[in-house]
Amino acid sequence: MNGLLVLFDLVLLAGIVGVAWRCLASTDLFRAAVLFVTFGLLLALAWVRLEAPDIALAEAAIGAGITGALLLVTLERLRSIMAERRSGRPHTPPPDPTGPHALLRALHDPPPERRTFIPALTFALVVGALLVTTLWHQPPSMGLEPVVDAHMDASGVDHPVTAVLLNFRAYDTFLELAIVLIALLGAWSLGRHDLIPARPAPGPILPGTLRLLVPVAIVTGVYVLWAGSHAPGGAFQAGAILGAAGILLVLARPRQLPMAPGVPLRLGITAGVAVFLLVGLYGLAAGHGFLGYDRAWAYPLIILIEVAATLSIALTLVALFVAGRPAGDDA
Amino acid sequence: MIANALTGVLLLAGLVFFAAGTAGLLRFPDVYSRLHALTKADNVGLGLVVLGLMFQASGPADILKLLLIWLLVLAAGTTAAHMVAQRTWTHGEFESDR
Repeated sequence: MNGLLVLFDLVLLAGIVGVAWRCLASTDLFRAAVLFVTFGLLLALAWVRLEAPDIALAEAAIGAGITGALLLVTLERLRSIMAERRSGRPHTPPPDPTGPHALLRALHDPPPERRTFIPALTFALVVGALLVTTLWHQPPSMGLEPVVDAHMDASGVDHPVTAVLLNFRAYDTFLELAIVLIALLGAWSLGRHDLIPARPAPGPILPGTLRLLVPVAIVTGVYVLWAGSHAPGGAFQAGAILGAAGILLVLARPRQLPMAPGVPLRLGITAGVAVFLLVGLYGLAAGHGFLGYDRAWAYPLIILIEVAATLSIALTLVALFVAGRPAGDDA
Repeated sequence: MIANALTGVLLLAGLVFFAAGTAGLLRFPDVYSRLHALTKADNVGLGLVVLGLMFQASGPADILKLLLIWLLVLAAGTTAAHMVAQRTWTHGEFESDR
């Protein structure tokens, strides 16, 4: 039995490396995006084998699902931009290599392989050697598991991963939420609101399925959020599931997007960071330090933060997919 | 003992269907026949795998969860297959950039 598991692990590893290689080496962007999703699913499986179901959930939902959707919609936008340029100006001189669309062209032109091969190989060897030496000289360590286990009753939750993310290392999670917010600000600062160029499939099948699937997705998202306090789950996974439901709704009817009004949308998007910050400041004022909780209040505060963070993550993911500020909102 | 044997038989039968579907996906010439092979064979294959796993479930809640997984995959897979077919019907076979 053990031998079979080792065999499975080896096949899985070979699959991950192989798919990653095919993804990077592919000159076809669509194929690369699909391979990236495959890579994410295999990676999620690897996390399951490493007995890290939290990371597996996050990888499958965010790494494979949402990132894959973002890559594909970006590719679709790139295609329509390229097609516009080709048909609009048929006799343009070769464009300036540092011009505004240089990045787009770089994505489509094959890279000059010969010239980059030696530097790339050198770089890979140096980084690889550094990684190997670092791993080699790791001091033997028990990890932080005993420390976390010893302090579990102070955390307010029953699941060690959630305890680390929202109590012991709340700082990291706070900054992660801030990064998600900043990513959206970056997308919005480009100031464009394009409709998604995807063509919705006509007919009743897709809307009918969505009527069935979206409520299930909402229930699943809320369940994953709630489960986070005692089992694998939490705000990022729940937010990704709810965001995926939103993206499906957006995709089903891209031509008639009911954009949320500006102020509630902004409140929802910033809720995670804002609530987290307020709770952190309260902890500072109450003498528990920034992002520290009173022991009795730890559970409700963590749930409050997680609910706000889930809302923000879900809204941000949908907003990133739509990309650009809501229409008629150029103030 | 009997449950374990049933699980083994059902899982193996499911894998046969998965293998057949994958062979169809790789070997068939156009989108429609590939969809035909993939969706039907995989749905039955997953159904058999789920049925096999039900014999290992610890209670009715687990059995219902497994059933729900199968039904959701059926719904999602059917819709995806329909969309691929619809797109092929209106726009022709998928063309790569290169």
